[in-house]
Amino acid sequence: MKRTVDVSVPIGPIHPCFKEPARVKCETKGEFVISAEVELGYMKKGIERIMRGRPWQEVMFLAERVCGICSVIHNMVFIEALEQMSTIAVPERAALLRVIVNELDRMQSHILANFSYCYTIEHETLAMYLLDVREHVMDELERITGARVTCAYIVPGGVRFDLRSEDVLHLRANLAVIEEEVTRYMHMFEGGPLIALRSREIGVLSRGAALEAHAVGPTARASGMPETDRRIHHPTYKKLGFSPVSRTEGDNYARIMVRFQEVLESISIIRKCLDTLPEGPIRGGGIPGAGEIAYSGEAPRGELSYFIKTDAAGRVVDISIQTPSIMNIEACCHYMLKGVSSLADVPSTFVSADPCIACTER
Amino acid sequence: MSILQSVKNLVRSKSIHVAYVDVGSCNGCDIEVLACLSPRYDIEQYGIYVHNNPREADILLVIGAYTPGWEEKLHTLWEKIPDPKVAIAVGNCPISGCLFNRPHTLVDPPVSKHIPIAAEVPGCPPRPTEILAAVLSVAPLVFKDYEVAKR
Repeated sequence: MKRTVDVSVPIGPIHPCFKEPARVKCETKGEFVISAEVELGYMKKGIERIMRGRPWQEVMFLAERVCGICSVIHNMVFIEALEQMSTIAVPERAALLRVIVNELDRMQSHILANFSYCYTIEHETLAMYLLDVREHVMDELERITGARVTCAYIVPGGVRFDLRSEDVLHLRANLAVIEEEVTRYMHMFEGGPLIALRSREIGVLSRGAALEAHAVGPTARASGMPETDRRIHHPTYKKLGFSPVSRTEGDNYARIMVRFQEVLESISIIRKCLDTLPEGPIRGGGIPGAGEIAYSGEAPRGELSYFIKTDAAGRVVDISIQTPSIMNIEACCHYMLKGVSSLADVPSTFVSADPCIACTER
Repeated sequence: MSILQSVKNLVRSKSIHVAYVDVGSCNGCDIEVLACLSPRYDIEQYGIYVHNNPREADILLVIGAYTPGWEEKLHTLWEKIPDPKVAIAVGNCPISGCLFNRPHTLVDPPVSKHIPIAAEVPGCPPRPTEILAAVLSVAPLVFKDYEVAKR
């Protein structure tokens, strides 16, 4: 068939729907998108270049600022990599507190992603509801860690602050509110006929395509790949007995629903942690030494890997970070956007993959 | 100042369009700007509409430490905003570069070297209430006596 490109439409870098600058260049025939290409390079700060040659105490804060939305997991993966390298033991209570904070962070990230999607398909009511429930999660993060976004809660050998008994009461009460609200909004999303028109059968990523594009995180799990969840390999999560959620549709609707279900899953993980939280110390101590390790964890957007090499004084000699969004952006542009029947669906499909440009480019 | 002018000043301070541009931050400040939209902080109750369109904006929120990708582009963006206009630097990054202003970095802070900045909100990231307070303190001054000043 003859390939006819009517017009090449660039979307971005400044776009009402994008939180961050990225440029999607679509080749279209009428409204039908033939192919799409992403152009990055607006956010490159050179974090890995700054990190090299610095002591881990400084790199810890830089690692957290790779991505502001999922800052807790960057902190957690970096510190756990150092701990594995220098065989530092973590007290049981601290390990569970890490999981609690990490899951709270995952919840706020997923709710923000769903907010962005609902905002992009112009369902502002649901978007504002979701942003309101996110503030409850941010309250809990702030109560436990002392800061809303960049909290630097996890340190080698433990965590910074203990969870007081009144905090547990607040957390349980707030979790009940969040669970009720999120369940209500999930049903609104599930049953909304207009939402279904904008979401179902749009931006389909089949399981084979997801495997080919190395999609990770909720994007992959919406295409029927529950094994991509790195949490099943984490020792603390293993003890909590958790099973990853997945769906098989692979369209925009499935990706948003997977995030809703993961928020509910996170709530149940936090409840399990609170039930089994033992008394004891929260900081065991320990100083990172020389070593070399590749370690990965599950960020809200997928698998996050750190490769770290340190010297005897704990200085980072070499570091490289692999963030999840780059694979999802790739999968989005080369598989999901191909064959989208209307240009209006391009921003919503792009947002449904939850791209985080800041951590993609670092 | 005529009565008409003071009425204009009052009315225009309650009708402000905001655009935000991320010139290389960690995303933390972006989500705090988005949190201003939420029903708890509700920036729209003050007549401030956050719509990420520079061509109809009055206030530009600049987030981030100015990466090489924004050379020329940020200035072009600033010129596309119709007069009168102000820019607010949100977070430590546009003010000083925060953690990213170290040896071997690619960023080139402060942003005030590249476009005029009217107000600065320090913090890493600042709280939504602080961003809101900065926007509200600048809002009455954007259009103040615009016709008089133009003459």
